[in-house]
Amino acid sequence: MGNEEAVFYSRVLTELTLSFHIIYATIGVGVPLMIMIAQWVGIKKNDEHYILLARRWARGFIITVAVGVVTGTAIGLQLSLLWPNFMEFAGNVIALPLFMETFAFFFEAIFLGIYLYTWDRFENQKKHLLLLVPVAIGASFSAVFITMVNAFMNAPRGFDIVDGEIVNINPIIAMFNPAMPTKVAHVVITAYMTAAFVLAAIAAFRLLRGSDHVYHKKALYLTMKLGFVFSIATALIGDFSGKYLAEYQPEKLAAAEWHFETQENAPLILFGVLKDGEVKYAINIPFGLSMLAFNNPNAEVIGLDQFPEDEIPPLYIHYLFNIMVFIGMWMTILSALYWIGINRGWKRVSTKWFRWLIVLGAPLTMIAIESGWWLAEVGRQPWILRKIMRVEDAATTSGQVDLMLMLFAGLYIVLGIGSVVVLRRMFNKNPVERELEDRHKEQGGDVQ
Amino acid sequence: MTDFIIFYAPFIILIAAIVVAFLIAPLDGSVTDKEE
Amino acid sequence: MNLEILGISVLWTFLFGYILVGAIDFGAGFFNAYSLLTGKQRILTKVIQRYLSPVWEVTNVFLVFFFVGIIGFFPKTAFYYGTTLLVPVSFGIILLAIRGSYYAFETYGARGHKGYSFMYGLAGILIPASLSIVLTISEGGFIEIVDGNPVLDYWVLFTSPLTWSIVVLSIAATLYISAVFLTWYAHKAGDVEATNLLRKYALIWSLPTIITAGGIIFELRRHNFEHYNNIQTFWPMFLISFLLFAGTVWLLWKRHNYGWAFILLMGQFIFAFFGYGASHYPYLLYPYLTIYDSFTNPAMAISLIVAFILGLGLLIPSLVLLMRLFLFNKGYVRGKKDFHV
Repeated sequence: MGNEEAVFYSRVLTELTLSFHIIYATIGVGVPLMIMIAQWVGIKKNDEHYILLARRWARGFIITVAVGVVTGTAIGLQLSLLWPNFMEFAGNVIALPLFMETFAFFFEAIFLGIYLYTWDRFENQKKHLLLLVPVAIGASFSAVFITMVNAFMNAPRGFDIVDGEIVNINPIIAMFNPAMPTKVAHVVITAYMTAAFVLAAIAAFRLLRGSDHVYHKKALYLTMKLGFVFSIATALIGDFSGKYLAEYQPEKLAAAEWHFETQENAPLILFGVLKDGEVKYAINIPFGLSMLAFNNPNAEVIGLDQFPEDEIPPLYIHYLFNIMVFIGMWMTILSALYWIGINRGWKRVSTKWFRWLIVLGAPLTMIAIESGWWLAEVGRQPWILRKIMRVEDAATTSGQVDLMLMLFAGLYIVLGIGSVVVLRRMFNKNPVERELEDRHKEQGGDVQ
Repeated sequence: MTDFIIFYAPFIILIAAIVVAFLIAPLDGSVTDKEE
Repeated sequence: MNLEILGISVLWTFLFGYILVGAIDFGAGFFNAYSLLTGKQRILTKVIQRYLSPVWEVTNVFLVFFFVGIIGFFPKTAFYYGTTLLVPVSFGIILLAIRGSYYAFETYGARGHKGYSFMYGLAGILIPASLSIVLTISEGGFIEIVDGNPVLDYWVLFTSPLTWSIVVLSIAATLYISAVFLTWYAHKAGDVEATNLLRKYALIWSLPTIITAGGIIFELRRHNFEHYNNIQTFWPMFLISFLLFAGTVWLLWKRHNYGWAFILLMGQFIFAFFGYGASHYPYLLYPYLTIYDSFTNPAMAISLIVAFILGLGLLIPSLVLLMRLFLFNKGYVRGKKDFHV
């Protein structure tokens, strides 16, 4: 039939769009909260550095939001263009959170516009901060609603299928499916964590580039602390996700952990490679998987032997899982060391190489985000809707997907390069030292 | 217990993390003291 | 009124909203780029940028709202339109992406960058052209069902005069709407030079707008006789639309009351757009899809409507605030104060 090609290219194009979009979306969800915290601290302590920090973050944020918005529009439309059969089904059962997402987005867009153009317009700065609240709420709730749809794909609920017809539809149950809480919380908290570490990397980079301004030190300290808090929360919620998987999607957990045979006292396999069906060079943590899955070292964990061969996800997701977890743990340790180090006056956390490690944290956390999403999506294979619809039955029958793939690849290159160039130009042209000076000159006549 | 962990605990942790973030954010004595 | 009509009316209204604010937006971007080319940026850029800046993201949401809503209310459209529109809508997405991001790049990152301005100006004016293809396809005659799957016949589509008239109309109308709005906006800002130039643009683009709009009705006679007949039954709406059009042009010509000129223009497009929509009823896609056989289940429909009402409760006050702060705030419009981040 030749449709295999359309399926293949549809998958590649969706993966490409999502992988690109998620970078900007994660920043878009996480950064508003960081801006809010910085501005709040600034007002509370009457410290212009934090206020300027919020202001400069907001400026950079616009660029990432713009790319996030347009790529989000792209993926929204592509879902219908590439997976029309899936979207027909989704429209019937899970359209409600999709629809609500547009409202969250609308709300965010309106207040972002107002917020950006009312700096210093209000006598009372708190009023201006108040405008940011709907932005942060809208951004986070966009993620909440969209992730609800993704959760539904993992744990479809709220309908019955009788003779191929969808009946007894309940949109609320579909929204509040069992996958939803862990998935939504994990997506939102990792966005906060990533945003904190990306902003930390920027501050560390400025310090490495010779600036010794206390502004950057405050920024770095603030973001590393926040990053630590959010990474601890991420680890906890990640653990809950494991428990969800064990209960509702055991094949995903088993494939991610290379847990082949159902057994009690299941060990956790870390790292390793798979050679001819044998796990090699792995670290075995006794009872680890039983603990992760059920908080009980003796619990029985279902293995891949319980599933038909054509319903087992690709085993390479184990690597993705390891990358995600390893980076998460690494960043937790790094930020904890930094926090303690600054308080105890350890010189080591202010050395060049430590700052380089913090800079490295930005790409690392992004890699963790990407791995997490690939794990989530590939781990659901072969299903687009678990146990209901297979990916190959959902795809378009159009013959031009390969051409579109090339076009979009070109687009993402243009947008990616464009956004980086613009961001660099924006901040290189206007370093914080100069901006602080300008502001002081402006206010010179006023009685402060 | 499992139900609690899967359905409620994630949101509790999420909200708690945001609250803690606001609480610890202003504590910057260790970097500002050196300002003088 | 039944749920089907309620659903499509809400969506149609939002599509109208998108067309209106989108047209202002895309046209403004184009005029801005054009003024750079002809060395008139001194006159135009300031007034255009003052309007565009705080609202660009809001424009995009209207579109997202429409296509998410139509999948929710009429899930079968995903199958028919999703399968056939891959190429035209993908082009639309790419243009939207270029337009949206390069607008932000220019405005926030590299003020006055000519390359960026051209890029988003040009991309913007092509968006209505590429998206209007969807309306053309909805008239039927371009889609065949092969092995149970809808397939778009590109050759028929791109050799049809109807396609090209709709493309021309979309571009002309975009520039016309935008020019009329900006004339009023520039006038409010007290910028005489810009007002005069934009007024000239508005008058220039009024002619192709009305000619192609009329021409399309006659082309429909050949292309889709059923729809053509339905249009006849709605003739008062189109007559009112034409009279409002004449009113706008007259006001512009006489340099009277540009605010009213824009209100009449909105009326013109409301009557034409809803007249067109009503005459299209009950088809979403001739002859395969009507709003009745594609409608979602009642449970979803009701929950969507409830969500919609709650959402509006949140949105309308926020939109009013946005407009009061920027669109209708004298200090802001005149450029006396700048509180840009």
